Parts: sequence; structure tokens; C-alpha cells
Amino acid sequence: MLGPMGWILLGLVPPMILLLYFLKLRRMPLEVPSTYLWTKTIEDLHVNSIWQRLRNSLLLLLQILLALLLLLACLGPGCQGQKLAGDRFIHLIDQSASMSATDLPGGQTRLEFAKQEAAKLIDSMDSGDAAMIISFSDRANVQQSYTRNRSLLKRKLAEIQQTQRSSDIGEALLAASGLANPGRTSDRESERDVQVADALAASLIIFSDGAVKDVANFSLGNLAPEYRPVGALDVPNNVGITAFAISDDLDSVGLQAFAQIQNSDDEDHSVDVELYVNGEIHDLQNAFEVQAGDTRGISFDLSGLLDGLESPLPVRLEIKDPDVYLLDNVAYGTIQPPRQARVLVLTRNNPYLQYVFETDRLAKLSQVEFKEPGFLQTKEYRDNAMLGVYDCVIFDQCIPEAMPQCNTVFIGSVPPNDQWQASEREFPTLVVDTDDSHPLMYNVQMGNVLIIESTRLSGPQAMVTLMESTAGPIMGVGPRGGFEDLVIGFPIVEYSDQGEEAHNSDWPNHLSFPLFVQNVVIALGGGARFDANQGTRPGELVNIRTVVPSSTITVRDPEGETVSLGSRGDRRFVYGSADSTGIYSVIDQASNREQQLFPVNLLDPRESNLVVREKLEVGYEEIAGTVESIPETRQFWPWLVLFALIVLILEWFIYNRRVFI
Amino acid sequence: MSKVASGIVSSQKEPLLTPELLSQLERLELVSRKIFRGRMKGERRSKRKGQSVEFADFRNYVAGDDLRFIDWNMYARLDKLFLKLFMEEEDLHFYALIDGSSSMEFGDPSKFHYAKQLAAALGYIGLCRADRVKVEMLDSSPTSSAPVLRGKGNLWRMLQYLDGLQAGNNCTLAEAVKSFSLRNSGKGILVLITDLMDKSGYESALRYLVARNLDVYLIHVLSQPEIDPDINGDLRLLDCEDGDVAEISVSQRLIDRYRQTLARYIEEAREFCARRGIVYMMTSTERPVDRLVSRYLRQRGLVR
Repeated sequence: MLGPMGWILLGLVPPMILLLYFLKLRRMPLEVPSTYLWTKTIEDLHVNSIWQRLRNSLLLLLQILLALLLLLACLGPGCQGQKLAGDRFIHLIDQSASMSATDLPGGQTRLEFAKQEAAKLIDSMDSGDAAMIISFSDRANVQQSYTRNRSLLKRKLAEIQQTQRSSDIGEALLAASGLANPGRTSDRESERDVQVADALAASLIIFSDGAVKDVANFSLGNLAPEYRPVGALDVPNNVGITAFAISDDLDSVGLQAFAQIQNSDDEDHSVDVELYVNGEIHDLQNAFEVQAGDTRGISFDLSGLLDGLESPLPVRLEIKDPDVYLLDNVAYGTIQPPRQARVLVLTRNNPYLQYVFETDRLAKLSQVEFKEPGFLQTKEYRDNAMLGVYDCVIFDQCIPEAMPQCNTVFIGSVPPNDQWQASEREFPTLVVDTDDSHPLMYNVQMGNVLIIESTRLSGPQAMVTLMESTAGPIMGVGPRGGFEDLVIGFPIVEYSDQGEEAHNSDWPNHLSFPLFVQNVVIALGGGARFDANQGTRPGELVNIRTVVPSSTITVRDPEGETVSLGSRGDRRFVYGSADSTGIYSVIDQASNREQQLFPVNLLDPRESNLVVREKLEVGYEEIAGTVESIPETRQFWPWLVLFALIVLILEWFIYNRRVFI
Repeated sequence: MSKVASGIVSSQKEPLLTPELLSQLERLELVSRKIFRGRMKGERRSKRKGQSVEFADFRNYVAGDDLRFIDWNMYARLDKLFLKLFMEEEDLHFYALIDGSSSMEFGDPSKFHYAKQLAAALGYIGLCRADRVKVEMLDSSPTSSAPVLRGKGNLWRMLQYLDGLQAGNNCTLAEAVKSFSLRNSGKGILVLITDLMDKSGYESALRYLVARNLDVYLIHVLSQPEIDPDINGDLRLLDCEDGDVAEISVSQRLIDRYRQTLARYIEEAREFCARRGIVYMMTSTERPVDRLVSRYLRQRGLVR
């Protein structure tokens, strides 16, 4: 569109051309003695005259150029550039799994598009501007710290790889704010409160699809955020698996696989879902309907697979219908061979424990031995304890001389080391809090449980308090090397020397007691019959524990690459390269057999929901997305007018001086 | 049309000859490279031995010689007859032809005035030396009013005649010269004063003169605006003689080309003249007549 300036200029063009026409084309008559010589002179020029004339009519050419320039200037040409304000820029590039969605035109992935857009911004930087590139998934990577070198920036930008991780922008924001908001000492009142460095304000440009956790407790400070949503504007077609689990309810139904299928599209979809066990198709469900924006559960029967199973089996659940985001179309799981926990219970005839272990459920999960505390003194116990024969030993009001090489439970006593201390028993004991989130307290309701007397516990630094009374912790679990010790500060049934039975708590009368014992067997005894290992996500560390002691193990990733790991003590190994989804196997180096399998799944409903978020919440601020990148027309017409003016001056000079350059 | 712009200024008030110039001219004489037989005895030293007082040579007497020229003193001394030879002094035909076309009116002073000045100066030299002087404006008419003058006393008549001349007689050079040649048969020196701006060419005119066996001098007069034009812009050039039009857009390139053309034209004329024994001389109206006569024409051998 022409502005008023443009119209004025446009109006000036015709009179100017007219003026120049008069100046040039009205030939002045002049009488000369003879045209003889002039005619002779012109005759030479008349040879291919039109070109000669054009070649010589510099004035005419200049006039045409002038008119063209002015007309061009009036059209107001500009280019769609992007203007970056400020002189320091931080580009945050989301490289999480959802950025691999190919919902953009041309099948481009979101990450590629984000990299392109960032490259454009880098190109449009002024020469003095510095920029920094941070990529983030569930962790942040400073790809390039502040530099003015644009080619370096673009090279580093191109090096950003797609990951299969979830996204968490918090760490990236911290990294970004490092320079913009330099830290201060904590005590503002102190004289020593010094600002570490000068704050350098910067523009923060976030290229993301918005599928990130909202960041609380973060102040942007000197960062001026700009959120550039990446992704198709209409809701992308994606149906994905957002949860997958294989479990045995230990009842009649048997082994089952459960999955959640999420449809983040705004249309209903029906998909074909297939379940593969050990690479072969085991079950399928055709035309599984999922409504728009809905999540539906699906289950497959795997019963019968456990019979006679000796080595773990890989399981793969697959949605056969392709969509723009393929990562969530596959989920992995494993079926582990059934294994019972070996539990030793050292008690003086505690009937409630016996009752609990006799239930069907715990009988399936565990293989339990009941012994009197006197068993502690036998050689058999010492050998078994040292060799790690037991998975879990329950000490009911007794204390071993040395801690066994397994997990332990102490009821009414504390482990024989300096870390655990118990106070005198205090009355009354009122339970005020339990840690419901801990696996040991899963489904354990203590509200109606009466406890008469209990000791207050203090344990190692990493102790987790599971139950707290008005006086303090009365139940806690703490690590010991690779094992865990659960200490319960109160006995349940006490026996006097005369053998009289005295109840200190009515806990065994409540449903929560067998549930608690079952949790103990599963969590501390390794009593789960199979381990779906659903918690492992791409990029997370995987803790591997071998059955038999071994100094090194080999882990093979889904692509078949192997890596050897050294032990970190206590048969524990840490694998940190689980960057892609799939089934990883632990290979026993001696037998070259797959000893363990562990699946790595993203299973993140947020990543699977490909709808581009319109805003990001960072701390108390909401950053609204600029859906289209902000176009800024770079105006060229002032330059054209300037050039036209120069041409005009040149023309005038030539006209007056008859100078040919 | 501006006369200033075209360089046409008539400075007729300026006298044709100043007293200083006259006194300067009196010491000069016209020289011909050829020997002409004069019609009357004049002051001009002829190559012929004649009867002037100036002694030239002796030669042996042969029968039939005029006895009056025998040197009797020599006879008395040597007893041989010798004839005393004296230098002959004769008059000379001097023609000054002025181109009277309209183009001669240009320049400041105009070429025509310059031509008249030059003709008057040369004519005066001739009058002083008792030559037969005829100053004439070129004309295609079969008759001419130009007087034949002789003797210093006729200066005023010559000037009167020259003053009466008006340019604007547009005939071709060839026609006018042909007409002149028919009317005048005398041999001698001919000075043609013209700007050579004749589209039909000057070659045939010069051939007529060469055929007459005259000692021809061609004085090519150009005004300064013709030599170095100072014009600007887009112009329509009008030829003052035939109304011909040439449209030009003045540029440095065009001016350069014009100069080249003029230089070539002059060179052609010079070469044409040189091949035919004609003395060619180009002069600008800026060059004073006295300097032209006393220096340049002297170098060319027309005067001494």
C-alpha cells in the first residue's frame, strides 16, 4: 500500500518528466554560417544511428532511469524480513519427541522448521548482535554460547538432533537466564551482597510446539521472551499410545497387557492395534474407535505365556495406522519369568505375619521361611545371609550381629549400626502422616490404626519417613549400599519372658496390614512376578541389577549396538545411553544369553498431544505465541528516492557540462 | 534568433585600414613566384632585363642590338663591344577576390569585414608599388563594377568601393570564379579570400584559377565560433544561405567530432591546394590583419 509520501512522489513524476522533456526535446533554433560541417559530422553518427543515439543519449537513459526509480519507489517495495530488536538473542530450540511430528507442509518435521526459522533470525541479525543457542528436551544443552559469528551459530543450529525425550523447558530457561540475570549472594542485607556480573538483557526466542511443562518459580528478569509456536495451525492427526503396562492381578484373570490410546485429533479415528510377543503377532484389535480428544483403554490377554517361561519375552504394541507422529505408535514391554521372593521371617511366633504369608496372593509372590530369633546364631543363617540367598529378611524384635546382604525389615528394633537410632518408647502414639506416594505405603491407610507406644526414629541422611507421629518419625526406609532397610519403630505383638502375648497395635486387624506386607514383599523382596519397567523413559538412567554377581555386563540397545558396563558394586550397573525407545537387553557375558530385558518408552500424553499450544507459562508470566512469525516489511523506497536524486544531480551536471563519463 | 548567439556582429564602424597599418604596409611589396609580363612599366622589378636605372649585367654585342645600350667606356678600355643590361621594372596584376556569400557575415568581426580589411591591406601594398590592383567581390554576374586601380592616390577609391560592398550574394564559388576568369585575362597574383563554406565544393573554382596560370593564394577565413563552437543543448541549426536544417544534440562527443571534421576539411583543402601550386592559408577572424600580413603572409612569400 502506498502511504501519503508515496502518492505525493507518484504525483511528482509526470511534471518532472515533462520538465525534463522540455529541457531536452525543444530544440533551440540557431543560425549558423553553414550546416555543411555539421551535416558531415552528423552523417558519421548516423551510421546505425538508433543505437548510436541511444548510446550517446546518456541524458535520456538517465531520465528513464530516474523515472523508473521514482515509479519503483512509489510502489513501495519491501521485503518480508524479520526484525529482531535488541542486540543479544537466545534461541531456545525444542528438540523433544513431539518435535519430530511431520505435520508441517511438505512433510517437514517441526524441528527442521524451527531450525529454519531460527536460521532466518540469525541471518537478520545486525552485525553487532550476539546470539546464543540452547536446545532442550527434558534437559538443556547449550549448543553455542554468545557469539557474533553467524556461520558458527548456523552450524551449531544445524547440529541440533531430534531426541525421543519429553520436554522440560525449566533447565533451558535457567541456562538462558544465567547471563541475563546474574546471581546475587543470598543475603541482601549483608555488605557482602554483590552482584556477580552486570546483567545483560537479552531477547529469548522459544521455538517449541508448547508441549512443555509449565515452569513455576521462575522469574524471567531481564529476559524478554518471545514464543514462536512450531507446528501446523490445524489440529494434527495423531493417535498414540500414552500408557502401556503388563501385569498379573494374581487372581483368576491371569497376565494381561493394558494400554491407553489417546486421540489428540479433532476427528474420530479408528485404528488397528497389534500386539507382538517375541516378534510374532500375538493378538490384534481391528478398527479400535477412539473419539476426538479422547483416551481409551485397551487390554490384551497374555495368560498362558508364563507357563514354563524361563527367559524374558519382549512385547511390542503397535498402532498400524500411520500418522504425523510415529514415535507414540509403538510401545514396548517385557514379560519376565515368574520368580518368587525368598523371605526369611525371624519372629517369636507372630501369628499375624504367618496368616498374611499364608494368603494366596503372598504365597504366589513369595517363598517364606519362619524361624525363631535363635536362628541368627546358626551357621546356615550366616552363610545364607552372606551369599545373598534371601531377598528380604524380616527381623521381628530381634537384631542380627551383622547386616545381611539383602533388604531388611526391622519391626520394633533398629539395625545394629550407628546410622539408625531409636528413642525411648513414648506414649501415646498418634499417626499424623504417611507417605502415600512411596511404593511401600501403596494403598495403606493408617487413619484408623491404633498404636500404643512407639520409638522415634532417626536414620541415615537419605532416610524416607514413611509414617510420622506427633512425636516424630516412627517408620522410615533408608538405603544401605545397594539395599534398603525398613525400620518400624513400634512392635505389633510383644511377648513377655513368660510367653504372654501383648498387643501394641491393632494394625493386623485392618486391611492395611496385609497390603503393607504385600508391598514389602514386592518392593523389598523383588516379589513382583514380572517387571514391565514402565518407568524408564528415553534419556533416563537405567539401574540394572544382576541375579548373580558379575563385574561387567553388556547391554544391547534396540539397534543392536552393545556397550559393556562396569559394576558399581553390589551387582548394580548404571546404563545411561537409553536414548531411544525400544527394548534393551542385558547379555550375560559368560553364556551370551539375554539375561534381562528392559523396555524404554516415552509414553507421554503431553508429547502425544500435538495441538500447538498458544501460550507458554513461565513463572507468573504467560508468553503468548506469535503464531505467524512477525513479518516486518523492510522499506526500500527511501533508498530508491535517494538514488533517483543522485541520478537527477548527475543528469543536471552532464546536461550543463556536456561531460561524458 | 539571437545574433549574439550566432556570433553575427557587424563591426562596420571599425575602419578598414588604420594609419598605423598603412604606414606599415607602405614598406611592403607583393611578390609573385612567377614572372609575368607587365602591361606597363611599373615599379616592379621584372625578371626581364629592361630599362631601369638599376644595372644588372653585361653581355657581348650581337648584331641588331640597340646601340644605345653599348657601354662605350668598356669599348674604349677593352676594344670590345659590350652591351649594358639594366633591370627591368614592370607593373603587376593583383587581384583580391572576396567571397560575398551570407556565410561570410558571421563572426565578430565578421568574416566579410575581415576579408575586406585584408583585401584593402594587400591592395594598398599593390597600389604603393604601382601595380594594377583590382579588388572584387565574387559575383556570378557577367559584368563587374570593380575598378582597376593603380597608384597610391587611388586608395580612397578602393576603400570607397570596399565600403560599398554588402555580403549576401549567394552564388556558388565555382560560378563566381568562372565569371571572374572570363572577365579578366591579366596574369599576376590572385588572392581569394573565402570561408570555403560551399556545399557544391571549392575544387572546381580553384581549378579555374589554376588554369589561368595565376599565382593563386587562398586565404581561408573562419570565425572563432566555427573553429571552436560554444553551443549547448538540443539545437536546430539553420543554414543562413540555403535554409538547410540540421538537428543536433550537443554533447562533448559531438563537439569533438565536429572538430575532427573541420580539421579534416582544412587538411583536405590544404592538400588540394598544395598539389596545384596554390598557397593555402587558414586564418581566424581573431587574428589581426596587420599580423597576418606582416608575419604570416610574409612567411608564405606573398609580401616582402
